[in-house]
Amino acid sequence: MPTAHQPAVKGGAPYTWLAQRLRSVPASTYPATPRKGPELNASPIVAADELVRVFGEGGAEVRALDGVTVDFPKGAFTAIMGPSGSGKSTLMHCLAGLDLPTSGTVTVDGAELNGLDDSELTELRRDKVGFVFQFFNLLPVLSAEENILLPLSLAGRDADRGRFDQLVDAVGIRDRLSHRPAELSGGEQQRVAITRALVSAPAVLFADEPTGNLDSNSSEEVLALLRRAADEFGQTIVMVTHDAAAAATADRVLVLVDGKIVQDAAPKSADAVLDLMKQLA
Amino acid sequence: MASIALRNLWARKLRTFLTGFAVVLGVMMIAGTYVLTDTIERSFDAIFTESNQGVDAVVTSDAAVDTDDGNEPPIEEGVLDQVRKVDGVGAAVGIVADQQTAIVGSDGERVGGNGAPGLAFSVVPEEFDPLSYSEGGPPQADREVAIDAATAENEGFELGDLVTISGAGETRELELVGTATLGGSESLGGATIAVMTLPGAQAVTGKQGKFDAIRVAAADGTTPERLAADMTAALPDGIKAETGEQDTQSQKDDINEGIGFLKTALLVFAGVSLFVASFLIFNTFSITVAQRTREFAMLRTLGANRRQLIASVIGEALLIGLAASGVGLLAGIGFASVLEGLFKSLEIDLPKTGTVVEARTVIVSLVVGTGLTLLSALGPALRATRVPPVQGLREGAVLATPKEGRIRAAIGAVLAGAGIGVMAIGLFGVFGGATALGLGAVAVFLGVALLSPKLVPPLAALVGRPLERVRGVPARIAHENSVRNPGRTASTAAALMIGLALVSFVAIFAAGLKGSIDDAIEESISADLFLANTDGFSDIPSGSADEVAGVEGVAAASLLRYTQYGVVDGTDDSDGDSTGSMTLIHPETAAGALTLDWKDGSQDLLTEMGPEDAVLDEKHADEEGLEVGDAFPVITASGEKLTYTVTGTFEDKTDFIGDYAASDANAEAYGEELTATNVLIDLDDDADADKVRGEIEGVVEAGFPTVVVQNQQELKDSIGAELDQLLGGIYGLLFLAVIVSLFGIVNTLALSIYERTRELGLLRAVGTSRRQVRQIVRYEAVITALIGAVLGSVLGVVFAILISRPLADEGFTLTIPWVTLVVLLILAAVAGVLAAIAPARRASRIDTLEALSYE
Repeated sequence: MPTAHQPAVKGGAPYTWLAQRLRSVPASTYPATPRKGPELNASPIVAADELVRVFGEGGAEVRALDGVTVDFPKGAFTAIMGPSGSGKSTLMHCLAGLDLPTSGTVTVDGAELNGLDDSELTELRRDKVGFVFQFFNLLPVLSAEENILLPLSLAGRDADRGRFDQLVDAVGIRDRLSHRPAELSGGEQQRVAITRALVSAPAVLFADEPTGNLDSNSSEEVLALLRRAADEFGQTIVMVTHDAAAAATADRVLVLVDGKIVQDAAPKSADAVLDLMKQLA
Repeated sequence: MASIALRNLWARKLRTFLTGFAVVLGVMMIAGTYVLTDTIERSFDAIFTESNQGVDAVVTSDAAVDTDDGNEPPIEEGVLDQVRKVDGVGAAVGIVADQQTAIVGSDGERVGGNGAPGLAFSVVPEEFDPLSYSEGGPPQADREVAIDAATAENEGFELGDLVTISGAGETRELELVGTATLGGSESLGGATIAVMTLPGAQAVTGKQGKFDAIRVAAADGTTPERLAADMTAALPDGIKAETGEQDTQSQKDDINEGIGFLKTALLVFAGVSLFVASFLIFNTFSITVAQRTREFAMLRTLGANRRQLIASVIGEALLIGLAASGVGLLAGIGFASVLEGLFKSLEIDLPKTGTVVEARTVIVSLVVGTGLTLLSALGPALRATRVPPVQGLREGAVLATPKEGRIRAAIGAVLAGAGIGVMAIGLFGVFGGATALGLGAVAVFLGVALLSPKLVPPLAALVGRPLERVRGVPARIAHENSVRNPGRTASTAAALMIGLALVSFVAIFAAGLKGSIDDAIEESISADLFLANTDGFSDIPSGSADEVAGVEGVAAASLLRYTQYGVVDGTDDSDGDSTGSMTLIHPETAAGALTLDWKDGSQDLLTEMGPEDAVLDEKHADEEGLEVGDAFPVITASGEKLTYTVTGTFEDKTDFIGDYAASDANAEAYGEELTATNVLIDLDDDADADKVRGEIEGVVEAGFPTVVVQNQQELKDSIGAELDQLLGGIYGLLFLAVIVSLFGIVNTLALSIYERTRELGLLRAVGTSRRQVRQIVRYEAVITALIGAVLGSVLGVVFAILISRPLADEGFTLTIPWVTLVVLLILAAVAGVLAAIAPARRASRIDTLEALSYE
């Protein structure tokens, strides 16, 4: 159920240049360019209905998802939180078409995932979904630029050079483009990964613990970048995290426990998120 | 630690299987070779032992020179009376035992005839008879014949049928009255046997009034040794007497020499396969041990010492080596029949009485297989365990430092250079010969393999770039994957390189050989048509020339006899011990059919050649310091000494003539009066070539079933076909080495995929289709295979150039068969695709979620 919420207003001087850059990207290249966060009555870009995911059988049966119903409106930046084993990663995997639920349905940008075969799911991930993972985001044998263009190349499509250039400048990795991932810092690697996830203008960007492996400076940079993508691109983002500060960057925080959504709120700060978590304990 | 080794093996079944399989293939060839050659040897032993059953001594002529056709000059009938007068002789019988008498099959073509002899025997009293008759019995009359049971069965001959027997003397149609076996062997290695009465056999073989041998049984109380000694003393010069055992032994020795060559050749191929297998084993252990560096480091922090870790890896190798060698040994016993089938397809029939597995076969197979596995695993084991515990616990411990790589490359370059040097030493006959060549080649292969990590990136770019242009990202990733661990790709490719280097070398060498034979025929022979043996190399009856000369339209039919002479070096004992080749020509007709490249003299010398004249190959003349007008002595097969006067010299690049050409007036002395290598036919200028040929064919078919009529092109083609057949056999044996190296590609890919599970998961997550994942793996295999193929072809060309150097004097012109090389490259790429099938499937089925999960 979409909840009424306000986008957390962040930003300030260090990000103004980024906003300007993003604004100069031609509007026609984006699915939507709302400036003021998600519209309340926007149709959901990703929706899950009564999702159940069971691992194992018999006595060893684990219900990782136990009837999750949730919508993600266009342009919303949502964080999914929860303790280890709560099912947050499984939820993301099911939403992204990486895993198939035992029962229930997932719809991404109008397509119901249940009926899709492996190659259709692959195409969906390639064309409509962007991914940012905690580790192993980049192919070590390809340069940063090649990594960014990978999904497009795989689809046999040419990149929109204008969008590519502007994203690269916005993210600030132009001088790192010819480098291999091993030659980049952790923060740079994640920025490259975000660029890759954005370059094909996906319907939704999934980020799985994107800052889990970073120092606090790099973390902030990456979160700011995601925030900007949501604000300036209207990019729908679903981020799995266990870090309260990261979750506070989002418009909305879902908390999962034992495969069920137990909280759906819009905390405005990290402290508010922590309070939310404390209520669970 | 032993249980850790065992568990590792079990946990990585596929890897264990693939590594073991390489050893199995190599050991299989070794065991198969031994089993096959031992079986053949034992069969021949049985044949020869049985042939001399009841024979205490054998009297034959004492051939002064070993001739290439194995025929010894016959002895005069009168010797039999002399033998009978010797004290201690119980019974003596003169026999015909000819090796060039063909049985004509039901299709009108001679039976067998691919180098295996067509034996003709005269009937002997039962006490001397080695044959066991399965049907009927020995012939009683001159119009009757008995043949070997195998031929009768294969050709569908039954008792009472008329069978055509064709020898150097006559061709006769005889009634089949018996079928027989010799030495209990079903097959005689392609040889046929025709048994006739003594007068019949003498007439057919052209040995009227002569025997090939006299078989003697000792009287009671006389030992064979005594008998042989007494007879030798009593008989004239040029006749020798041996005990039956000695005779059997010398026959065995002769055949074992031939089998020994076969055995060596097969073992060389087995060695090649094992050599290739050792690359695979080395590579597999390098990769898996590197993957387990962290595990080793963990074990070390728990208190395991280096020796224990090495013992664990070596234990693993020992188990794989032993098990695989055992399986290889068993497979080899089966493989012996595959080899036999290969030879059969080359129309080389080998005798077989029962499979022989000697203890030596078992020991060599197990020791070599296990030893090689241990040796290949030792390096990686030492290297991996040298990593300090702390470094192993860090993510992605790197084992090879750049410095280490440079040292390796330097050693490789030195080794390759030294290898080429050693090959040259062997080639130019300084010392070592074939052994030096082989060792040199091994050094070159190892050197290039060590050097190749440096060669992989540029070669991968050479192959990968165009592929990227056509195939996009999957090819790009494949290219990058192939160079991220150059050492691994290098040793995988090097394994394929070895097989392909040998294949391309053989192809280049064969093309050159064929070309130079064609040139020789074109340059030296001006005849319109030839008579040759249907098998392409045995002799034909010399009587065919007279018959053909009578055909209208034939200007001349000139006999050509390529044979051996004995070198006279001054001491009577050793005269004839070393031999050379020469050609007997027919002076009256030779000039029209044979054109020599004269250095001193002209074609007239052929026409005017007297019995004591000889024209010399310029090279031979130079070596011997002979000039026109000089005289030189030779000894012939019959022991006669001839002195020739040099009347001219000619250049003979391809060694078509041999050391010298002389008149066939002395053919009898050379033991060649009844046979010839070829008959060169010169037609009248105004003759209707097709019509005359038809008539010649009629004459030949009627009287000489072992003879075929060919024109120049057909002669070239038939020689070419023989070469191709030989090539086919060699390719067949090298194929095994190539197969082993393909398993290397499979293995390396499988292990790399295991290492890159996360990457593949990422690729799948961001939208790489299964098909694209398969492409990535497939292209990496193709790139690896092509690197091996390029290196192999280059080495093949280098070897061919190197080996053709000393042959250049003999007219060997090196032609590089580009088409063949390109075909090889394409085949290598296809092989890469095939090798990638299973790993690619595995990669495309990687569970994306599992691959991306963080432990």
